[in-house]
Amino acid sequence: MASAVNDARGASDTRAESPGSAPCAPCKGAPPAERALSGRGPRTTSTIALSLSLLPLILAGCARHDRVVVGSKNFTESDLLGEIVSQQIARRTNLPVERRFHLGGTFVCHAAITAGQIDLYVEYSGTAYTAVLKHPATADSAAVLATVSREYRDRFGLAWLGAFGFNNTFAILVRRADAERYGLTRISDLGKVAPRWRAGFGYEFLERTDGFPGLARLYGLRFAAAPTALDLGLTYRALADGRVDVIAGNSTDGQIEALHLVALADDRHYFPPYEAAPVVRAALLARHPEVAAALAPLAGKISDAEMRRLNALADVAHEDIATVARDWLARNVP
Amino acid sequence: MTNLVQFYARNAQEVLGLVGQHLSLVALSTGIAIVIGVPLGVALTRRPAWRGPVLGLANVFQTIPSLALFGFLIPLPLIGGIGATTAVVALVVYALLPIVRNTYTGIAGVDPAVREAGRGMGMTDWQLLTLVELPLGFGVMLAGVRVATVVSVGTATIAAAIGAGGLGVYIFRGVAMVNDTLILAGALPAAVMALAADGLLGLAERRFAWRAR
Repeated sequence: MASAVNDARGASDTRAESPGSAPCAPCKGAPPAERALSGRGPRTTSTIALSLSLLPLILAGCARHDRVVVGSKNFTESDLLGEIVSQQIARRTNLPVERRFHLGGTFVCHAAITAGQIDLYVEYSGTAYTAVLKHPATADSAAVLATVSREYRDRFGLAWLGAFGFNNTFAILVRRADAERYGLTRISDLGKVAPRWRAGFGYEFLERTDGFPGLARLYGLRFAAAPTALDLGLTYRALADGRVDVIAGNSTDGQIEALHLVALADDRHYFPPYEAAPVVRAALLARHPEVAAALAPLAGKISDAEMRRLNALADVAHEDIATVARDWLARNVP
Repeated sequence: MTNLVQFYARNAQEVLGLVGQHLSLVALSTGIAIVIGVPLGVALTRRPAWRGPVLGLANVFQTIPSLALFGFLIPLPLIGGIGATTAVVALVVYALLPIVRNTYTGIAGVDPAVREAGRGMGMTDWQLLTLVELPLGFGVMLAGVRVATVVSVGTATIAAAIGAGGLGVYIFRGVAMVNDTLILAGALPAAVMALAADGLLGLAERRFAWRAR
């Protein structure tokens, strides 16, 4: 029953399961071969013959080197970027793409790609820097990127491709009404109300080196009680419904506007930059350099505002992720 | 394994606290499920037409994913919010089916000839229920409670998703950080608890079967 597990930045999120959000599980149906197998009635014999003739195809599809397995973390933005990357590879190369979306958080994706279970997923520089490589957080964007791409290559055999261009940082969120009433715009402003407030965070944010303990230390935050640990996807609802007063979400989240929340500015620069980029197994790129070439045009194409808009399309307007990705690619990567 | 022993040694206080939370979540939710489920099961034997819809509804409850259920419950007054209340409500919802179903089956399975004999002796419906049907159906009902309890011990780990604590805290934290020791630290005591609950209730069931003979 621990299917629920989750957390933040990059790390994860189960908005898909909370009401009022998009059903964003994009594991698109059965492969065509399987559909063919489900024929019945008088055509059974021909179905069997057909399926037998398809068998070599199916087996070939399972052969490791013939496909690109794309993973994503369990929140909308990661699914969306995974879908954009998958469609781009499918458009520009002859390689079949297999989607393994909505995997657990950062750590599950990292374990999967280092074990060779997936070939590619979209990771955030700051997450890789602090959560995976365990470096102390720093706000220097260029240094983070340089360290991450060097250490990923040397330690894990993973290539860090060109970043999409936006920064999805942790957003310390409060209700807009509260922000206006108490004049809150920066995280520093929280200090005066914190002793009367309750906080609720996901498990990962409570544990990460760039998570709550360091934040509380830097800003001197002391809440009425120790923060409640709950599933990340549920924190948004808990805040909107007044069950807690502060949560940590994602700055490019479509829900922030929709639920009338406000992100407080990180005025003391606690959080490192979280620039999203595809991480690919170097072994795959060596065999299929066309994958890197296919993904190159995506670099620098998505701004903060654009990412927020895409997330809102999926989470708030409940549009299908594959459609959102297809439309975006058609318009921006001709 | 040595990691696990060290972990328990270092965090004994916290572990005991979480075990306590876990036990009270299970005890409270199973207790409430019995209080609701048994009368409901009895009512079904008196109103057979309700059987389909009520059991169907209980079945549907089983299929609601816990996180979705929590999402629905958060905005509700009294039974919602974040914390133990919401977790208990969810656990009760999940425990109802085996209890209602087995109560119904236990009573419906009483030999009609025995029931006739009771009626022939001039028993009222209440007497028939308390003196004949409940004692004879008790073994089957207890089996339902046993299933509900064992399942609840496992299900109660989801309480950690809504800030209600319990052993799920270690499991959630462990999965988020890919820390096997932490996951085991939560899963192992939960497994032991489930086995213990199963054993104890199984013992009660056997004793009862022996007495009934």
